Amino acid sequence: MRRLGDLEAEIMDRLWTWNRPATVREIVDDINKTRPIAYTTVMTVTNILYGKGWLLRGKHGRAWLYSPVRSREQYAAALMEDGLGESKDRPAALVHFVANMSEEEQAALRKALRNTARQADQAKADS
Amino acid sequence: MNAAPALIGYTAAVGFAAPYLLLRAAWPHRAPALAAAVWHALAVSFSFGAALSAASLAMPAENLHAGLVGLLHACGLDVGAGQPNPEVAGRLAVGVPAAIGIALMASFAFHVVRARRARSEHREAVDLVGRHSAHLSATVLPYDVPAAYCLPGRGPRIVISDAAVRQLTPEQLGAVLEHEQAHIAGRHHLVLAAVEAFYSVFRWLPLARHAREQTALLLEMIADDRALRSHSHEVLATAMYEMATARTPKGALAAGGHTTLIRLKRVLGPRRTAHPALWASVAAAAAMVPLLPLLVACPPGLG
Repeated sequence: MRRLGDLEAEIMDRLWTWNRPATVREIVDDINKTRPIAYTTVMTVTNILYGKGWLLRGKHGRAWLYSPVRSREQYAAALMEDGLGESKDRPAALVHFVANMSEEEQAALRKALRNTARQADQAKADS
Repeated sequence: MNAAPALIGYTAAVGFAAPYLLLRAAWPHRAPALAAAVWHALAVSFSFGAALSAASLAMPAENLHAGLVGLLHACGLDVGAGQPNPEVAGRLAVGVPAAIGIALMASFAFHVVRARRARSEHREAVDLVGRHSAHLSATVLPYDVPAAYCLPGRGPRIVISDAAVRQLTPEQLGAVLEHEQAHIAGRHHLVLAAVEAFYSVFRWLPLARHAREQTALLLEMIADDRALRSHSHEVLATAMYEMATARTPKGALAAGGHTTLIRLKRVLGPRRTAHPALWASVAAAAAMVPLLPLLVACPPGLG
């Protein structure tokens, strides 16, 4: 299972980096530069990614050309917003560092930070 | 002797009055873990109280001696004498408390399973889109706003935006990662699922509403304290400030935004821990509170 996920990531990584539609053969050849891998393995996993909705494909001559549905940045933004709880219905699923703040809260915060900085200076001057 | 009025009174006090007393107290923010335990103890106590109240209402003539064992004994064997319809009363006396217990368990299981499914889908996508940084022990996502969150549970991940990695100092970054690590190590998602479950069963109850809100805040404070063990207050506070103010709020007022302010003032304020005597008495009370309904149901000397 773990290795399958890794190969999925490798395939997506290449398609995002190349930023153009590519055939399974091109992906296999590129992976083969670093380690041997069977054409059928890559084809199977590419099909899984297509089935999961990560890839689009179109016929070019006799070969399928695959391309990511969305850019890496678009996926990342959707994931981040999901993880930060900006989309609804994710109770207890993800714990994020800080919540958004309103203007007034930010002003109160700046004041609090300034006060501590002043106190720290004072303490330094006193000692 | 019928315990129903005392039980109902006790349960109502726990459900309606106790949360306001706890909200007004100053010590919870000094001892967040203890305070979270007290909120949970109150929730358990209320559940027992409600179950026992229902049981004693269904069997007005019975004295619920010797707690739960006595309850089962009374329902199973002794129901009958002088009851107009002992069988129905007996069934109600068991059925209603059982229903409360089952509803709470089912709700907890539902929340745990649903959250786990959401996390595993999310984790799969994060692994495809992000780049794992062995140095940070976190997955970095390309996102132009400094932000971080964690996926607790099995196969945990800390997710951080590349903007955070670029804009925060190494110390600030370390404090943020330590904070998230504390959530994962402390299994805070299970604590949240428990209060969430209690809230879905007793939605109208002030105790349920406040326990849910306060537990979320207290868990953040626990994680803050953990980060403060190895990082200075200024580092954590400035990291929080950078991340809280970077994002523009969507909607009029970001929900829960004020909790960041509470945490920041706490991190920046004078470091105060609860007095050991106070701590010990509150801890003892928290351990006792879940058992109180049993004592009310069966006052010593009357059973």
